[in-house]
Amino acid sequence: MSASTAPEIVAPPVRPSAPQRVRRRRRITGRAVLSFLTIIVLLYLVLGPLVMLVLAAFEDTSGGVVIRPPFPWTGANFSHVFANAHTYSVLWSTVIFSAGALVFAFAVSFTFAWLIERTDLPLRTPVYVLLVAPQGIPAVISAISWSLLLNPTNGFVNLVLRGIFGGGGIGSRGPINVYSLPWMILVEGMSLVPLTFLLITASLRGMNAGLEDAARTSGAGFGTIVRRITLPLLRPAIIGALVYEFVTVVEAVDIPLVLGLPGHVTVLSTQIYNSTHPPVGLPDYGASSTFGIFLLALALIPLLFYNKMLGNTGSYVTVTGKSFRPKIQKLGKWKPLAVALTWLYIFVSFVMPLLILIWASIQPYFGTLSRAALKRITFTSYDKTLTSNLFTSALKNTLIVGLASAAMSMVLAMLVSWIIVRSRSRFRWMADVLAFLPHALPGVVIGLAILLIYLLLPLHVYGTIWIIVIAMGTQYVSLGSRLTTGGIAQIQRSLEEAAEASGAKARHVWGRVLVPLLRPVFLNGFLLVFLASIQNLTLPLMLYSTKNLVLSSLIWSRWDYGDATGTAVLSVVMTVITVIAALFLRGLSGRRAGE
Amino acid sequence: MAAIRVDRLLHQYSDRGRAVTAVDNVSFEVEENQFYTLLGPSGCGKTTTLRCIAGLELPTAGTIELGGTVVVSDRGVVPTHRRDIGMVFQDYAVWPHMSVFDNVAFPLKVGKRLPSSVVKERVHEALALVNMEQYVDRRATQLSGGQQQRLSLARALVRQPKVLLLDEPLSNLDAKLREQMRKELRLIQRRIKVTTIFVTHDQVEALSMSNRIAVMKDGVIIQEGTPRDIYLTPNSEFVAAFIGATNFIRGTVAAAGPISGDYTLDTSVGQLVCRTDQPLVVGEPVTVAVRPEALTLSTDPVPGMNSIEAQVDLGLFVGESVDYHVQMGDLLIRVKGSPRTHFRRHEKVYVGIPPEDCTVIAADEVKGVPTSTVEEGEVDSVGQTV
Repeated sequence: MSASTAPEIVAPPVRPSAPQRVRRRRRITGRAVLSFLTIIVLLYLVLGPLVMLVLAAFEDTSGGVVIRPPFPWTGANFSHVFANAHTYSVLWSTVIFSAGALVFAFAVSFTFAWLIERTDLPLRTPVYVLLVAPQGIPAVISAISWSLLLNPTNGFVNLVLRGIFGGGGIGSRGPINVYSLPWMILVEGMSLVPLTFLLITASLRGMNAGLEDAARTSGAGFGTIVRRITLPLLRPAIIGALVYEFVTVVEAVDIPLVLGLPGHVTVLSTQIYNSTHPPVGLPDYGASSTFGIFLLALALIPLLFYNKMLGNTGSYVTVTGKSFRPKIQKLGKWKPLAVALTWLYIFVSFVMPLLILIWASIQPYFGTLSRAALKRITFTSYDKTLTSNLFTSALKNTLIVGLASAAMSMVLAMLVSWIIVRSRSRFRWMADVLAFLPHALPGVVIGLAILLIYLLLPLHVYGTIWIIVIAMGTQYVSLGSRLTTGGIAQIQRSLEEAAEASGAKARHVWGRVLVPLLRPVFLNGFLLVFLASIQNLTLPLMLYSTKNLVLSSLIWSRWDYGDATGTAVLSVVMTVITVIAALFLRGLSGRRAGE
Repeated sequence: MAAIRVDRLLHQYSDRGRAVTAVDNVSFEVEENQFYTLLGPSGCGKTTTLRCIAGLELPTAGTIELGGTVVVSDRGVVPTHRRDIGMVFQDYAVWPHMSVFDNVAFPLKVGKRLPSSVVKERVHEALALVNMEQYVDRRATQLSGGQQQRLSLARALVRQPKVLLLDEPLSNLDAKLREQMRKELRLIQRRIKVTTIFVTHDQVEALSMSNRIAVMKDGVIIQEGTPRDIYLTPNSEFVAAFIGATNFIRGTVAAAGPISGDYTLDTSVGQLVCRTDQPLVVGEPVTVAVRPEALTLSTDPVPGMNSIEAQVDLGLFVGESVDYHVQMGDLLIRVKGSPRTHFRRHEKVYVGIPPEDCTVIAADEVKGVPTSTVEEGEVDSVGQTV
């Protein structure tokens, strides 16, 4: 760095603007220590698992993963995986599953976002709330409720359909089989809608309505405006959401496990889960790590093309002036159709799954609606389930995991955002990458990699809830830092400088200035991570032991065991908890999210 | 025949259950090829009026005619994209996902099918008009504010519309650029002869560019006339104060004469002779508005005009003039003095008030005089409700 002093001497002193870099002895400041520690911790949390994953994939893991020489290098894991025809069918299913779910989710989300933001659809506010509400239902629960509704043997809808069309003609199975790829796509797609819809609505709302007005005064009708102005302008937002949701689809085990396993539809995430937790035999960490690397590569592909896809539009920022309420498109004769489709969608995606869960939870055994079934309504299962030790310890674990992961990831997120926004250090880019990477790492891969680490390290973490906390805390750093980076960027640097000029040390700057100013952002992020982590099934399942059951993994294990009523009771309870947390979040973020 | 006719335009909306009237029975006509300005402070309804003409807002009642075609009436509304208009927005509304060419070509491509050679030619013509030809291949986001402004104007003109609507097009530019664009905009408008409605809160823009000005307040046109009418004979304290700096002196009519049109007024600072066309009644309370540049300062009384003793409070030398604040009785009066003058603080002076420059306003006109300067970045609080 001090090399720049040499040309300074030769160059004519006409441009004093180039600051002369002088290397002087710098005192180790609180800021520097904080930055350094943050980077080190993140390096350990993010890169450690990645290294383990790569080691395991290229080693002979029959004797466990080896972390010091001599390494038992081998290419056998890859050659086995490539030689197996099953691999290609898994890859193909993964591609179809994720592409289908994304297309469905984005088409539905854009349609509803447009209807709510730009048309005179009646009851827009309730529709908005009901479209976002399913966000409070964990995907594993919605998968279970769809299984209750549509499983080929005694799915509620199937029973009703067979009743209508006469059981004889159709037989004792079907007519709908939810344990198949098309239905998995549909269920996954619906579970993606709330967040996708939120993201698209937000950017549609943030869009300068003047740009549409300008097209209108240029003589464009509404179809042309949607096609040539609105959609292209939303492209960055849509692509951003697409990349985000793509990772969500490929990393999750919930829906593929509940709906795919019985129908023998395997995608990469369930493949990794299966080879890590085989029903019989020993786990094959070599194979699962190899699949993990596949999944990692798959998740990284869209990220690599992210900037290209955005096109040459570095800044989509334009001058914004007055904001008028966008012109409202009258639906006219299409109104009844739009209303009918909207409420049908809400009923199918939200009301029906909830009702079936409640129904199943008050029945001693699952069956169709009948007079006899109405007589059988009982709340004893609630009593039995909620007083069991398993439930109380899972509830306690869930709360601990939720709170601890939220605290861990938000503290890290705040620190890393602060480095990203404020630091002029040359290690700044590392903070950027480290904050971003956990988002690109599929949960099932993080789970696997962290499992491999703590199998080896002589820390008493493996099998406890803390291994789940570490995994979730790492994974949600990205989510948290999205909020905190924006939050810190909004706090003018001069506020910190003013504190320093008043004699404040780093800890005072944080304690008296940054933390109080960031409190709303922090709380918002804390609840968001809390909500996400108590809903998460992937990590608790990958790191499952009998001692670290949380609600989501308990629900899965009851379901796996075949206890439909118990599962339904737990699901209802869990939904109540997440809905309460979501309401808190909504109340906290005020009207920003809603209307 | 008027190119634009707005008749009893009413625009109401409800804000949290309360009915708000943004435009209250506004009527005006714009002649062919005229440059017509709606001038007023924020929230006066000028932008809403313009948006009603464009069809971006639906008026509650009233009629609008553009070039002989009724576009808004009780019988129906012509949608925006079928109106023969071009519009420039305050924030330019340049589409960031398109190139300069595509932005300008858009109105031609969504309208009647034109051969691509014609489109190309017309786009180049429009860009040449605003001196932007060399940027045709740029991305819209690579343009500066002033260039986006020009692009937005080219886009509005490319269809050769009957009516050009300008919604505060200059307010986002910096002062220098604004002055230059003011001139260019007016030259372009004259050259291509397009009937124009211009919305602004800047009285200098309004005075310098318009054929006619309508000064609006609270959804109502207060005064309409040529820039000279508006500036020299404001009909109310509001107009006088809004268009440039003004001193107000309140008093009552004491006597008429000796010359016809002259009146002697009793004011708190002494007797004042004013010359006015409008008949005044003795005993009537009135307000006199007089511009700072009409006043003179001298060390001795000047015969032949009102000359009132005062004391200099502050003199700000601004180069082209000296902005004096003088204490005249209980009034603080602003005087624009010649840069050659140099009166000191606390110095005794005589303020010369020429009778012909005293504009007499009936005192019961608009109350609540606003400041004569308007802050930038105003936001019309119209239609923000759900």
